[in-house]
Amino acid sequence: MSAVLEVRGIAKLFGGLAALSGLDLHVEEGEIVSVIGPNGAGKTTLFNSITGLYAPDEGNILFEGRSIVGLKPSQITKLGISRTFQTVHLFSNMSVLENVMVGQHCRGRAGFVASVLRLPAQRREEQRIRERASHSLGFFGARLSGYRQDQPAFVLSYANRRRLEIARALATEPKLLLLDEPTAGMNPKETQELTDQIWRLRKELGLTVLLIEHDMRVVKGVSDRVVALDYGKKIAEGTYEDVAHNEQVVEAYLGKKAVG
Amino acid sequence: MSAGLTARRVARLGMLGGMGVIYLALVGMVQTFDGVRLVGDQVTLGRVLLILPPLSAAYVLARPRIVAGEAVKPDGRAALVGGAIIGVTGGALVGLSIVVANGLPERFAAQKIFTSVTPALISVVTFDRAIAPGIGMLVVLATVAGAAGAGLAVLGWKIRRPLITGLLVVLLLSMLQNVFRVMIGQLGLDTAWLYSVRLGGLTYIGAILTFAVPAGISAFWANEGITLRQRLSGATREGQRQVRLLAVAAVGLLLAVLPFLLGSFLSAVLGRVGLFLLMGLGLNIVVGYAGLLDLGYVAFFAVGAYAMGVLTAAANSGSSIHVGMGFFEAVPIVVLLAAVTGLLIGAPVLRLRGDYLAIVTLGFGEIARVLVTSDALKSFLGGAQGLIAIPAPSFTIGGLNVDFRDPQPFYYLVLVFCVLAGFVSYRLANSRIGRAWVAMREDEQVSEVMGVSTVRYKLLAFATGAAVGSVSGALFAVQIGSLAPTSFNILISIQALAIIILGGMGSIPGVVVGALVLVGIPGFLTEFETYQLLIYGAVLIGIMLYRPEGLIPNVRRTRELKEEDRLQDAWSKGAPDAEPATISWEEAPG
Repeated sequence: MSAVLEVRGIAKLFGGLAALSGLDLHVEEGEIVSVIGPNGAGKTTLFNSITGLYAPDEGNILFEGRSIVGLKPSQITKLGISRTFQTVHLFSNMSVLENVMVGQHCRGRAGFVASVLRLPAQRREEQRIRERASHSLGFFGARLSGYRQDQPAFVLSYANRRRLEIARALATEPKLLLLDEPTAGMNPKETQELTDQIWRLRKELGLTVLLIEHDMRVVKGVSDRVVALDYGKKIAEGTYEDVAHNEQVVEAYLGKKAVG
Repeated sequence: MSAGLTARRVARLGMLGGMGVIYLALVGMVQTFDGVRLVGDQVTLGRVLLILPPLSAAYVLARPRIVAGEAVKPDGRAALVGGAIIGVTGGALVGLSIVVANGLPERFAAQKIFTSVTPALISVVTFDRAIAPGIGMLVVLATVAGAAGAGLAVLGWKIRRPLITGLLVVLLLSMLQNVFRVMIGQLGLDTAWLYSVRLGGLTYIGAILTFAVPAGISAFWANEGITLRQRLSGATREGQRQVRLLAVAAVGLLLAVLPFLLGSFLSAVLGRVGLFLLMGLGLNIVVGYAGLLDLGYVAFFAVGAYAMGVLTAAANSGSSIHVGMGFFEAVPIVVLLAAVTGLLIGAPVLRLRGDYLAIVTLGFGEIARVLVTSDALKSFLGGAQGLIAIPAPSFTIGGLNVDFRDPQPFYYLVLVFCVLAGFVSYRLANSRIGRAWVAMREDEQVSEVMGVSTVRYKLLAFATGAAVGSVSGALFAVQIGSLAPTSFNILISIQALAIIILGGMGSIPGVVVGALVLVGIPGFLTEFETYQLLIYGAVLIGIMLYRPEGLIPNVRRTRELKEEDRLQDAWSKGAPDAEPATISWEEAPG
């Protein structure tokens, strides 16, 4: 097995606050890894650093053996890392299909001249973008297909917005998918459905998945490995059972639940 | 009363209506526009302005009000009475002011402040009668207008829309009588039945017909339109294509023959509309598609004009550079130069957004103006004296000399570039590039994370917008033949922006309508020229308040939204698994 993603000792400071300090993390190809931790533990900061939104103050991030620190987010996406956001960020006035077509953007190349003249290559590419976008939406079955493709994204239900974010991320044709609390705000039935879908991401699409999740049933259900963070440091790592019974983790995170 | 028909509100709206009339009179609009005869010699635009404020105030009063989240319609009869009271109040307020203005002793010299208060104005507002009966008539008319305004609001949209459509057509045909009279005359048709030669304005029969026919069509459309539209959208792809081709051909034919119908003077106005349309199309790419608020668009206009001037002018132009190129050879160079300027202006502002971007670009616009005026560049650009002796392209065909500075040939030249710019805009908007722009406008950071290189697409938008704007400048140089640095001021930027705001950001038909309304109407109606900026301001405030998406918003989206209910029904019948819709759309335009 080779590490798809390797985070080596990254640190990120916001003023005097260390959101991440000396964090190491690796994700093997085909793995599903969950990152857990209390609020403010640095989980989303980790995602933002991996996707290039933040430049880490220290350390290095390797994707398929190549450093991606200092690249622009769009370049990192093109290399094969895609993500969803903790608070849903769709292009709300674009249609559902168009949202996903934006995801396909980095796999196209038609430029100014080709677009204005509608050269044959551009038409074929546009057709391909449309098909692949539809295909990405098809991952969620009838939920995002049919008439919904042409609806503006803002009319979607909350759960569907989360699904659309995943479909949009899939459309970038990633190797590694980062999911930031994919089930937040979903009801138990929808959560169960999404848990199954995260499995399918690996089984059908061969993706490697790194996810942040608060819902322990999801974490238990999907993870090969769980990494627990607190104050920007890794405090535990291992199978769900190992981490869930780790004293430090219980104290930092599950402890509150166990006591309360 | 639940729907807000309180005495307080009625009194306040009545006062507002009256003050509206007084304001219009004091700025001189009533008197100026009294010269614009709409129907016969009795209905003038000035007189319409006298009743419009109370009418609008009453309309506002009787509109459904949102009370605790629900729209509550006021009681019809009460609303009519309220509207009439607004009219009486407003009319009385105006009457009182007339008495005061008329009674002021000469030495009080109110005219020194309110220069419009003249005996002529007083005779306009009293309908050329003595003071007392004149005021009486004003109050009666205002009362009727108030009741009518309230009535319009109370009636359902199926009645209101035909009425307003009819009135607007009458207003349009009568205000633009110079245009239509010439056009119909050129077609060899008789205009006497429509436009009265003796009285000016529409004839009474003409007015009734031009009201009734559009109103009837609108009423028919309101009742039968849904079925027609369904049939149209249900038609085959081939059929829709044919309908669209037919429409394009008809518009194309009209545009081609327009200068012959309008004659030289009106063609010149159209040429001016075309210049601003071109600028609007360019700015629409930057602001409408990419969402980058650029207040210094005049910079690109100036680059285009001066580049064209320097490249083509004769030796004695005022610039030390003499190239002496032809217009058509110079156009590609001008466009390229402008695109580079776009990149240069775009690069430093890449990190700025919204307000900050607007302020910085505003600065760039001013820099352009200062540069072309400055002595430092005097030897190249002519400094404060500007450039002269810029030739217009011309050719001779069959012994007929066509000079593109003449209004009619110039119109065709502008038209070609407008069509080209519209075509490029349309194709870009409906491509991968257009999608990247929209995504960037919606959420810059997320689009970057989804793989859109925002730096690249921002620069592309600036460069493309600059190139289109520069063509407008180049054509301006050709039309005028000389360039004065004072022409390149911030008003140009504002006018271009106003056009796309009025028409609808990101909508090409919107830009066309915006240019026609904001440049065409003042051009056709010289009376408007004095009040152009006042009207711009009022129109922009009104649009921002009541229709922020513009007159013709992104058509495709509106259509999608309207079709949605129908599709949803069909879908839920066929697919029981589908979730019910969470949001329904407002039934009809209110």
